Amino acid sequence: MTGEFRSRFRTLTDGSDAPPDADHHIFIGPQHPWAEEPAHFIIHVKGERVVEADIRIGFNLRGIEKAMENKTWRQNTMLVPRACGICSAVHQNIYVRVVDRLAGVEDQISERARLIRMFSLEAERVHSHILWYGILAHDAGFDTMLHISWRDREIIMDIVEDFSGNRVNPALMLPGGVKRDIPKEKADKARPMLDELEKKVLYHKKVFTEEASIRNRLEDVGVLTKDDAKKTTPNGPTGRGSGLPFDIRKSYPYELYDKIDWNLVYYTEGDILATTMVRIDETLESIQMCKQILDRLESTQGELLARVKPRIPEGSYMSRAEAPRGEDIHFGIANGTDTPERYKIRAPSLGNIDATLKRMDGEYIADMPVILRSYDPCFSCTNRVMIINEKTGEKMILNQDDFARKAIKAKKYNRSFF
Amino acid sequence: MSAELKELEGILNVTLPEKLIEDIVKVEEGHFNVHSTVKNAYELMKILHEEAGVYHLSTISGIEKEKEFNICYHLQHRIEEEFREIPINFFVTKVDKGNPKTPSMIDFFVSADYYEREIYDFFGIYFESHPFLQRLILPERWPDDVRPLRKEYGWEQIKEITLDIAKKALEED
Repeated sequence: MTGEFRSRFRTLTDGSDAPPDADHHIFIGPQHPWAEEPAHFIIHVKGERVVEADIRIGFNLRGIEKAMENKTWRQNTMLVPRACGICSAVHQNIYVRVVDRLAGVEDQISERARLIRMFSLEAERVHSHILWYGILAHDAGFDTMLHISWRDREIIMDIVEDFSGNRVNPALMLPGGVKRDIPKEKADKARPMLDELEKKVLYHKKVFTEEASIRNRLEDVGVLTKDDAKKTTPNGPTGRGSGLPFDIRKSYPYELYDKIDWNLVYYTEGDILATTMVRIDETLESIQMCKQILDRLESTQGELLARVKPRIPEGSYMSRAEAPRGEDIHFGIANGTDTPERYKIRAPSLGNIDATLKRMDGEYIADMPVILRSYDPCFSCTNRVMIINEKTGEKMILNQDDFARKAIKAKKYNRSFF
Repeated sequence: MSAELKELEGILNVTLPEKLIEDIVKVEEGHFNVHSTVKNAYELMKILHEEAGVYHLSTISGIEKEKEFNICYHLQHRIEEEFREIPINFFVTKVDKGNPKTPSMIDFFVSADYYEREIYDFFGIYFESHPFLQRLILPERWPDDVRPLRKEYGWEQIKEITLDIAKKALEED
């Protein structure tokens, strides 16, 4: 099976082990706006087409797993959301569920606490998806959409800030429940805001489906077929855009996702437009779920926090959740003391790299920004792309804007990239 | 064990030879832990992948025990018609601590590449027949013999090593 994906094993950065039919090699990264953790992409091209793509990762190792072994379970509750800047709540949610299970307090968590946890998760999904398709529009050369979507994203950010005190790191959860309530006044204030946001997202959807200039950049670009998807195992919206209908909220429900009305979104086309539509539709679903949760909170009472002893009994548990980017998985082992024996975290983007590299095969260089963006890598600014002409040895150093501008022009006027 | 084995066989629709399996634990409804030794792991994974059709590997965890290493393959058995997933934690046990070697599962899962290299980085476990078992995550200057997630290295030690690397890098520049 690995034969056809052999390109992934070529991590030589000087291009000396490049495929024989490639004539140029484009190096992107390591600290590049198009990479999740700073990643180094090597794209082998022949003329305007990509022959193969490769990646090197590991430029931002923070040692969270090792650090967690040296802190108590309670301290780790505040360390674990730092694994990701955007999807912090989902990391915390899986962590508290692992601890709940190991400590044996799973049944004592009230419905109200679970609903508040779910609100935090869904609000995070809304702001993460809106952020993503804004940047996607920017990469495709449609900056108006970036400004519109980010302006509207502030609505959900305000709600999250009102409920938790923080914009992107709500940290509402604790083992045994949640630490803050959502009072009725705040919920009443949030409801009209959610209605307004829903209207705006419907408008965003209209732009992405009807506006030709953006649609043409996304449609039939970077197609990942269902068979390829099964081999490269993408997760989350990347997989659901290629017809793999798996969302952990449905396939292995946690919290109260099986008791709330929502629809699983998936598309079968496999191109970038399909993953975009998955995310926009999911945003609408999540807004709808947020409203449902607020309604249910009115009629639900219960203790917010169950007592969890600091010493966690021996045992191990693997738990997963559907992060905005895909499947997030934690595996915790307790040894009877107040610190973990071992704690493993796998964030969703690592599982999506293979599929993204597969998407690039045979595509235009001008489509690279959009394809690299498709699996929703996080942002880290200020780096350049170096393009080397192998025959003449000439080097071109481009910053992000130049690269995007060249790519847009090449696509728009149908002319060569170099 | 036999009741859990029967249930898992029913879900996967295959027969799993009992001699290849060390233990099966049912964690909760539709969530299993399967233990197998280094000798039998490859054969058992082959049955899971080729006959039962398990194609999704979420990640791999390395676990250090007192006398041995364990490696845990977090698999998902996906049932597309029912939109359902069955998590299976596939433990490879009895990996020798003095000379840690285990078969690579890259023949079955493309994504095993990164995950196995990560375990090799952090624990120094060799995956036999992995075509490109090289450093994935640790920095280039990191000493080859230091495997940071092993218990022998404490947090303070790791900090010292990291500072040393940073100092050397500054001097070289």
